[in-house]
Amino acid sequence: MNETKYWIRDRLGLNAALAETVLTGFIGDAVETTRSKGVVVGLSGGVDSALAAALAARALEPSRVHAFLLPYRTSNPDSISDAEVVAKAFDLVTTTIDISPMVDLYFENLAEGDIDKVRLGNKMARERMSILFDQAKKLGCLVLGTSNKTEILLGYSTIFGDNASSINPLGDLYKQQVWQLAHHLGVPQEVVGKKPSADLWPGQTDEGELGFDYTSADEVLCLMFDLGLSPSEVVDQGYAASVVDRIAAMEERNRFKRRLMLIARLSDSAINLDREIPRD
Amino acid sequence: MANKLTVGLAQIDCTLGAVEGNLQKHLSWIEKAREQGVELLLFPELSITGYRLLHLTSRVSCRIDESEIIRRLAEASGEMAVVVGLVEEGGQGVLYNSAVMLRAGQVVHVHRKLYLPTYGIFQEGRFFGPGQRLDLAPIAGEKLGLLICEDLWHPQLAQRLAADGGKVLGVLSAGPGRVGSGATLESQEIWECITRSTAVVNTSWLLYCNRVGWEEGSFYAGGSHVVRPGGQILCRAANFQEDLLVATLDLREVDRLRWRLPLLRAERADIEGPG
Repeated sequence: MNETKYWIRDRLGLNAALAETVLTGFIGDAVETTRSKGVVVGLSGGVDSALAAALAARALEPSRVHAFLLPYRTSNPDSISDAEVVAKAFDLVTTTIDISPMVDLYFENLAEGDIDKVRLGNKMARERMSILFDQAKKLGCLVLGTSNKTEILLGYSTIFGDNASSINPLGDLYKQQVWQLAHHLGVPQEVVGKKPSADLWPGQTDEGELGFDYTSADEVLCLMFDLGLSPSEVVDQGYAASVVDRIAAMEERNRFKRRLMLIARLSDSAINLDREIPRD
Repeated sequence: MANKLTVGLAQIDCTLGAVEGNLQKHLSWIEKAREQGVELLLFPELSITGYRLLHLTSRVSCRIDESEIIRRLAEASGEMAVVVGLVEEGGQGVLYNSAVMLRAGQVVHVHRKLYLPTYGIFQEGRFFGPGQRLDLAPIAGEKLGLLICEDLWHPQLAQRLAADGGKVLGVLSAGPGRVGSGATLESQEIWECITRSTAVVNTSWLLYCNRVGWEEGSFYAGGSHVVRPGGQILCRAANFQEDLLVATLDLREVDRLRWRLPLLRAERADIEGPG
């Protein structure tokens, strides 16, 4: 292994105990500062939402963490049972809302015939987030985000769908750091160990769809984004050019997903540019 | 007790933009420190206003000579020297990130931050002007140097303060925390590398006062500490929680060390070459 690879793997390591202290502090502080009653989180059965829920359950009383299972009729039954395993592990009460009627009704009314699977997946992701924000309003809670750093940088998400949230404790953790922290917090092994999938259509796996594995993606993104290497410099470190190019292209193409709305600036007090008012 | 100085590091959380609430916290911590016999009490950087102010900066600024906040703090200080961090309105429409030292109803010293980090997550240069002067403040018949956070990363400042007789260096900080793979916070490892080496090469006591709490997704871990003139950490505040760290310093320890290890005496400004 060359020196850079050795170094990058160390950098992607995580002191999980410290990360737990910091991220539970983040959730507790945000809930307190906004005078919210707790958080709502959608449990997909995957490791990201499991980790977010686990952190929230440690930060707040489990009774202040409202877990929602939001299946679609084609969802893998394992996703539901895994979400239930997670809820049980962290003592969370769950509510299940089937999103099939509203998603299907929308497309039926459009009567466009076959809908491509990406549009359907996006609709499902936004339907879920719409429900979570509605429930958060009802319960006086914040919506807990579950997007990790790898996914955000790749833009491997639905804008205003799964990438939306009130607060996101995972957004500065690469996927393999999510695995480390989830393991540390006692997220059940069947969830930490399974192949990541958005489960937007049967048989979908993240790594299959992306065309590269998360370990490589984390390392390449860390070299480019955190350390400032150009794609060709990353290739020089021994990463496959086809993978590096694909990652770099995705990051660039999907950059719009991680910006708040772009406002045309006319005056000298455009929101987000001339008047950045921070929150505590 | 001649040559002894009891110092306190008030490792507090500050609420962004909530000046009155922060002021009340300062007043109660001053009382707490007084009960413990503290003679010099440091608060963190921008302790009165919170750190990451951005466009709130101008809304929380104050003029040293007119500020009601400063008057109340000065009044509360009594015989204790109290150092707070705030946004100072200078003349010419410039705002400064300042450390203000108060004692017996008076402002006895002001340090305007000299190096304003404006890179990565830091945006100070957009809102503040850099200070222009470095001075020592009187403390217990000796001299104290005050620096703010990034100032410590420019080693000639601490060196100039020590060379001019400073025996204690006080650093007000709002240093955001970072978690890596190591056993301690990455941010703390780096800060302690700098505070300890600064104390060692300048044979001075060093007081590092960092804040705790969250702002805009950034956390401050605390870990305030006192470094002996030889570089050993004398004591350290708790991480992730408010804490008042109190220590009594023997200022003669500086003299004894400087006689034995005459680094400052040996300093030369006459060496030719680059720079």
